[in-house]
This record gives sequence, C-alpha cells and structure tokens, in this order.
Amino acid sequence: MHVVIINGSPRVQKYSNTEKIITAFTKGLSEKGITFETYAISNRKAWDDIREAYIKNDEILIALPLYVECVPGLLLEFLETLPQKDEHTRLSFVLQSGFAEGCQLRCGEAFLAKLPEYLGVRYGGCLVKGDNFGIRILDEEKQVQVTKPYQAMGELFAEGDGFFREEAEKFTGPEYLPLPMRLIMGLIFKTLAKKMFQKAAASWGCSVPLDEKVWETGHDRA
Amino acid sequence: MVLMVDTTTQHIGKVIAEELIRRGKNEAGFELIDTTGMHISHCVGCNYCWLKTPGVCAIQDDYEPVLKKMSKADQVWLVSDTHFGFVSWQTKNIVDRIMPLVTMYLKFKDGQMRHVMRYDHQPDLGIVYTGDGDQAYLERWCQRTALNLGSRSLGVFPESNGKGAVSCML
Repeated sequence: MHVVIINGSPRVQKYSNTEKIITAFTKGLSEKGITFETYAISNRKAWDDIREAYIKNDEILIALPLYVECVPGLLLEFLETLPQKDEHTRLSFVLQSGFAEGCQLRCGEAFLAKLPEYLGVRYGGCLVKGDNFGIRILDEEKQVQVTKPYQAMGELFAEGDGFFREEAEKFTGPEYLPLPMRLIMGLIFKTLAKKMFQKAAASWGCSVPLDEKVWETGHDRA
Repeated sequence: MVLMVDTTTQHIGKVIAEELIRRGKNEAGFELIDTTGMHISHCVGCNYCWLKTPGVCAIQDDYEPVLKKMSKADQVWLVSDTHFGFVSWQTKNIVDRIMPLVTMYLKFKDGQMRHVMRYDHQPDLGIVYTGDGDQAYLERWCQRTALNLGSRSLGVFPESNGKGAVSCML
C-alpha cells in the first residue's frame, strides 16, 4: 500500500491543526511499513501536482477540518478540478473539528460519504473526531501529545480496511457530552475559558473584548 | 429585509427578484447581491476574527459589505449552482466567512456546543439552487448552518420551484 495524503485545510501548513494530525497518522503508517506522500491544498501552486498524484495512485486520503458543517470552500474548489476515476481507487477521509462532540461532524461526514460516488471512486470510510481547535496554540511537545491517538489510527489504516473498523468508529468519542459534564463545562466556558481565550488573544496583540460588537462600536478598521 | 446572495452563472437571483416584485414585494424590502465580478476569497482559517481583531476579517476584499448586509437581514437566501449535490464553492466561501458574526466564546445549546453570537439579531437562512442538488442533504446542511447562527432554516428550493422560495420571502 502507498497512500497519497492530501491536507484539505485552507490554513497555511505551518499553523494547520490538520497537518499535525497527519504527522501523527503517518507515524502509524511508517510503523507498519506503509509508504506515503503528502500534499496540502492551501498552496494553490501545488494543485497540479496533487491532481497528478490523485490520478496516478489508487489509495487516497484527504484529511480536513470541518468548515461550517461541511468541506471548506477551497477544498470544494479543488475537488471540482478532479477527473473521474473508477472503483480501483479508494478515497478515505480524516475529518476533524473544533467542537468536541461526534454529533457536530455528522453533517460533514454525510457529504464525504457520498463524495467518492460523484468522483467515480470507492469510499474507504471517514475517521471522525472533534476537540482539535486548540492544537495550534499548544507548544510543540503538547501538540505531539494530543495528536498521538492518531498514530494508532494510522496503524489501523495500514491493515487495509480503510476506516470501516470498530476502533475507528470508537475513536470519535461521545456523540453528545453527558449532562453533568455539560454543566461543568458550561460553567468553565463562562469563566476560565473566557480568560484563557482573552489571554491567547492578548498574545496575538488583541486588546479589545473578544465579544465586542465592532460594527456598533466603530472599532472595525477606521 | 430579505437578502439574496446570488453566485450562479445564470444569474437566477434576477429571475426570483422579478417574481418577487410581480407578487407585490416592496423593492425596499429586499436586496439582490450578484457576486459576479466581485472578489471574494475563501476563508483561510486564520482565526483573526475571533482572537486578533474580533469581529473583523483579516482578508480585505469585497466580502465585508456583503457580510454586514447578511448580519442585518431577516432572511438570507443563498442562490447557488450545485456540484457533488452540494452548493458551489463560490457559495461555500461566502458561508465559511460568516465567522466574524460569532465569537470565540462557547456555550451549550440544546445539548450541543455552540459559539456565542456577536450581535443580537440573526438572519434565517434559505437556499435556491440550480442543477442536480441533493435536496435532502441541502436541507440538512441548511438546518445545521442556521443552528450555528442561532436562527432557523427557511427551506431549500430547486430553481424549478423558485415560486416556493418567493412565497417564503413575501
């Protein structure tokens, strides 16, 4: 097996959470002796190369962040440039999001489940997991730590069944968070999390409240 | 106020606007934005509109005036071509970039995490599409997207049933 892995995130690779996930995933592939090549659609100049890799290979994996309940606009644009292939090619997905619960990603997953048919190829399943928003603001060591579970999924993928495995299904975690946890987290959202976000924003040079109604206060660009 | 944002190559929004006027809608009660010739980039996921310049997109192109109008409208209708049964990338780019309307702050609503909205008023959302759209999927996506805005879906209509959409706009 040789896997073509496409990072479908529009964010520059350096800050891409999806990229960190791919790094962990490919460690798992390497462990099992599977070779791969990786691309990122955020760089438009690479689109011809990516398309060529898609055409020449039969094991394709697109890893992507959820953007408003579905595929990011830039990835949609790229997908429209792909030619039809046949069912010798298998197309699988790693879908990740900021929101933590499985239910948040199902609408996006439903689109991805039908996409291979539109392209004429075979569906290899979709690995679904949320709670990844914070990866970019962690230091490198913590990034490795939080993305580590994806390595095991790389090892699983290497066994050849795509993501049609119980382990991949379980990887999503809870569909909804249980009520006690929601109550506790709801409290944290109103207190600690606000402070944490405001602190992260300050380190980015932001000095106004994150919930400012800028179009009403006139603090948008003068 | 009803706002139509038309990205279709056949300018379907114009036909719907004409029908709307024919059925007695006051011209002051709706606006049609045809994005032909406008420069509207995709969202690059920089998170600046949440964490660096809250409420303001870092990309300076023709999008901000569109978003301001969307934010203030009672109804936003996406008039879109379809590919893979879904809205076109041109329309998806317009939707992906609504993020300045939500804040970084989080809450739970109906058992799910949601972002806290930046402004008090939220537009409802509808779709009119050309081509071979996946009606059931578009309905699902429209409902989910409206859920994220704290509003509701107005429904999804193929171009052939543009009159159905017009009835919702009156």
